[in-house]
Amino acid sequence: MASVNPSIRTCLRCVKQTANANASLSVSGARFLSTTAPVSQEAAAQTQENPFEKWGPLDPALVDNKRDERRLIRKEGVMPIGSRRRRAALRTSAQIPFEQLPYQAFQEARKILLEDRQEKIKQIETQKLRLANLLKQDPAVSGGEEAKEVRVKSMQDHIRELIILADINDPIVKKKFEDGEGDMEKPIYRYLADKKWRQYKKLILDQRIEQFHIVPDLLPSLDPVADVDLAFGRRKINPGEFVDSCISESMPRLKVQVFDKGEKLVTVVVVDADVPVPEKDSFTTRCQFIASNIPISPTQTFIPLNRLDPKPKGSEEAAPKHIALPWLAPWAHKGAPYRRLAVFVLEQNGANALDIAALEKTKREHFNLRGFIHKQKLKPIGVTLFRTQWDENMAGVMQRAGLADQVKIEFKQKKIDPLPYKRRTERMR
Amino acid sequence: MLLPRILAPIRAATKASPSFVPSSRVLDTLRNVNSANSSPTLSFIRNATSLSQGRANGAKDGPGKRLGAKKTGGEYVIPGNIIFRQRGTTWFPGENCGMGRDHCIFAKQPGYVRYYRDPRKHPTRQYIGITFTKDETLPYPPNAPRRRRLGLVPVIRESVPELQTAEAGAETGLPAAPTNAAGSTLLVGKKGYAFREANWDIGRAAERAGVKVREFVPGDRFRAWRKSKARKEANAEKKRLRGATKAGKKPQKKRRGPGGR
Repeated sequence: MASVNPSIRTCLRCVKQTANANASLSVSGARFLSTTAPVSQEAAAQTQENPFEKWGPLDPALVDNKRDERRLIRKEGVMPIGSRRRRAALRTSAQIPFEQLPYQAFQEARKILLEDRQEKIKQIETQKLRLANLLKQDPAVSGGEEAKEVRVKSMQDHIRELIILADINDPIVKKKFEDGEGDMEKPIYRYLADKKWRQYKKLILDQRIEQFHIVPDLLPSLDPVADVDLAFGRRKINPGEFVDSCISESMPRLKVQVFDKGEKLVTVVVVDADVPVPEKDSFTTRCQFIASNIPISPTQTFIPLNRLDPKPKGSEEAAPKHIALPWLAPWAHKGAPYRRLAVFVLEQNGANALDIAALEKTKREHFNLRGFIHKQKLKPIGVTLFRTQWDENMAGVMQRAGLADQVKIEFKQKKIDPLPYKRRTERMR
Repeated sequence: MLLPRILAPIRAATKASPSFVPSSRVLDTLRNVNSANSSPTLSFIRNATSLSQGRANGAKDGPGKRLGAKKTGGEYVIPGNIIFRQRGTTWFPGENCGMGRDHCIFAKQPGYVRYYRDPRKHPTRQYIGITFTKDETLPYPPNAPRRRRLGLVPVIRESVPELQTAEAGAETGLPAAPTNAAGSTLLVGKKGYAFREANWDIGRAAERAGVKVREFVPGDRFRAWRKSKARKEANAEKKRLRGATKAGKKPQKKRRGPGGR
């Protein structure tokens, strides 16, 4: 759309407007000497026919006022690109491509960058050749099997680094990444996205993992490498946010952005880390949800948990393909401390599919995530969490989940007996 | 070339003193001559700048502050018990312990006191912690799940509010919110007990009461002038009244001189 000549666009708009005007004229002829009722009918019919016709085509790269942005988002479902200031600037500027911009210094700088890129590409070629030669070499010549492996690995790392360095200074790459048009199949965009994630979102996530003691309580250690976004319907949930019980009654959707190449299968596990056990005066864990064998890749990021196993229209129940333990609405007793619900994205070993029927036998109560990960040979790649506590909708949620008997239970502070009085000399003994 | 000038004072001194100066006193003579104010007597008396006796240097031997351990290792404590009193942080609060504003260490959970070090947390600090059972030791193994106590008991509520059916709309466990005179529901305050009307409801109050506002006519300068005049008059009146109260108060606040009672 950005490449469309502005004059053509205005022409199109004129054509559309005249078409509208004609239509209204012809209808107004029919409405001659009538009451006002048909006017509203006609207006309604018009809006039903084509709601976009009123304002013409909107370009997400060029909309520069709030109203048009809203229209674009609501009616066409397209997010505007970049900042409003940028869009306004683009609208008024002649949109000349980078190669033709009339700035001498800029063009000279581009030349230097292009030279650098050519140099890097040449280096990559030589490195690839050297790697191929090394792979052909007899391990005895290169100092043993281990030494050869180490050398191969370091050379591969070096090539990866060179591939990034070849593109990192390209202004087009930078622009595309900032516009969100970067192709995540390409290493440079994955690298930039990873860097951006680590600059802010990962720091917040790390802090939440530490603050909410996810690390010693559920896993011994955790270094997330994938960006996980959690949302219930349209509501995005930041890590650690309190979620209203009626919102979390339905399954969330996840967006898992991985920054390394290739498709992989993941298992999603949701664990409640604060299930009170009044008999033992302590806490335990409960598994709220398990879904396995979900394919993700750098470009395939969306995991709508509620649409993983679509229910067939007919009465016959098809065997679930992904969900091993269906979603249990998070709930908390009145007066009990808040519940931490951690959503783990676990990579399956070697993209091997897990047996769903076997996973279905997993017990929800006293769920041991460490054991589960060890047994199924999983690797945690992403995590996010939310919290829930007793609220005004919780009673209804619990009743619908079949926990009507639990609604009546309220947790009260336990009374601790005071120490018996002892005289000072007695205490010393 | 410089020699005559340097030796000039010596010459002057020897000329001034008619008597013979022995070789052992030559230096003294020179010193006298070279000093700016050649005083005949030199007296060095150094007075004390601070008091050496009495309370001036602080009483060193005051009453004891009863600091130190109030509970020994392994002793049973309940929440709020003070375990250690100290000046500064000789000991730090560890598991299930807190630190007061005077750095005293107190218990947050019932259990058994442990004095320990945790090099993973800090290389040199010493901690006081509480374990839930008698045989446990601190620090806990690294990366193990935290040992936590619920500290709550389940109680069955007598008055559980009846739930509305799912068809009726939003289900709430709370009783129906109170309504105002107009019949609209009142908002529940932050603490849950104070009720007030919602802002949109307050905004609609005039509409309900049937208050009519004269329509604004753009360009009606006469009406605008009348309104602004009325406003200015009202402001002037207000200002006058304010001035009157100030003037009335002033004589009362009059201060008496230092001599008066």
